Amino acid sequence: MTDMDEAMLIAFVDGELDEVNRRRVERAVAEDPALAARLDMHVRLRERLAGHYAPIEAEPVPAAMRTLLQEDAKVVPFARPVQARRRVWAMGGAIAASLLLGLGVGHFSGGSDGPISIERGTMVAQGELASALETQLASAQEEAPIRIGLSFRRKGGGWCRSFEGQALSGVACREGQGWQVQQLVPGAGREGAYRQASSGDARLMATVDALMDGSPLDAAQEKAAKDRRWQ
Amino acid sequence: MSFESDLLAILPRLRRFAASLSRDRADADDLCQAALEKALRARDQWQPGTRLDSWMYRIMRNLWIDEGRSRQRAARTFAPEEAGEHVGHAGDRDVEAHVMLSDVDRAMQSLPDEQREAIALVLVEGLSYREAAEVLDIPMGTLTSRLVRGRGALIELLGEAA
Repeated sequence: MTDMDEAMLIAFVDGELDEVNRRRVERAVAEDPALAARLDMHVRLRERLAGHYAPIEAEPVPAAMRTLLQEDAKVVPFARPVQARRRVWAMGGAIAASLLLGLGVGHFSGGSDGPISIERGTMVAQGELASALETQLASAQEEAPIRIGLSFRRKGGGWCRSFEGQALSGVACREGQGWQVQQLVPGAGREGAYRQASSGDARLMATVDALMDGSPLDAAQEKAAKDRRWQ
Repeated sequence: MSFESDLLAILPRLRRFAASLSRDRADADDLCQAALEKALRARDQWQPGTRLDSWMYRIMRNLWIDEGRSRQRAARTFAPEEAGEHVGHAGDRDVEAHVMLSDVDRAMQSLPDEQREAIALVLVEGLSYREAAEVLDIPMGTLTSRLVRGRGALIELLGEAA
């Protein structure tokens, strides 16, 4: 099946496909090494672009712009980002408050050492993303570069976890000894940056909803699953 | 929560968007500053409850397009063609900015405007296709075909390393 439409492949990388079409792309890619190579190029391009511009968002804002906006604005909001984030995550159902700590932050390195590799036509987590998925608990990750959002049981069995980094966020599911990335969207940006109910989160939540069997794991269940090495 | 503090909160992302559109960081901050000034003047046109970031992306993108057109006009009117690309820029800043440009910056700059803005909104800013199409005021199909062409060009320019 080499006639996979380029737009479809790109929509897959952009997290725009529903579950049915995602599976179609995954099957096509698994059967076709040339298609897998194209997918790999698109994933790398996306990582490289997102990673290239991400540091700008973390820079201090120039004084001239700050002054322009502070003439009437004496109060800079700190509480609001957490509230905004909570509404978004709450769409997924009953979620332990401990999972809501903090916003996504951290650096994904780009290039071939990036967080994702293509193996047998699927996107597989590697490096610090793989270790975060493997070992990090949502309740203990204050300074972590990649943050785990929800952990949950997948329909039909197995485990999945959502994650957020500065450059890239997504959902990954346990496959064998590794983590297969189901969906990838641009990251949450710098910590403390105010984000309105973001499209990235909405797309990820739709994926989580489609994959999830029941409710997200609470802190104790998450730890138990981690201790069993997500098997 | 005032209009200004809402703007201040999304400002880091607006600067990133400006940088992905502009030829260098100095131009990017000029664009960003102009967009903020325009937003403050036009604040009555923003409808509370709608997305401020999308509104700002649209303002910034329209300023960038207008500026590009006037720069092209100025280049055609006042300078021979080969010098046209330098019109409107102080020499020193130009040299410095070009030295600092990375492969990604150069590749983005080489894209036609319509592809660059689509790539910037979706791949850098993380908007959904629907949101990006709304900001650019184009149909979804037009957006996706620009994304396909823009990505193809970037992959070609950046080579295997992409």
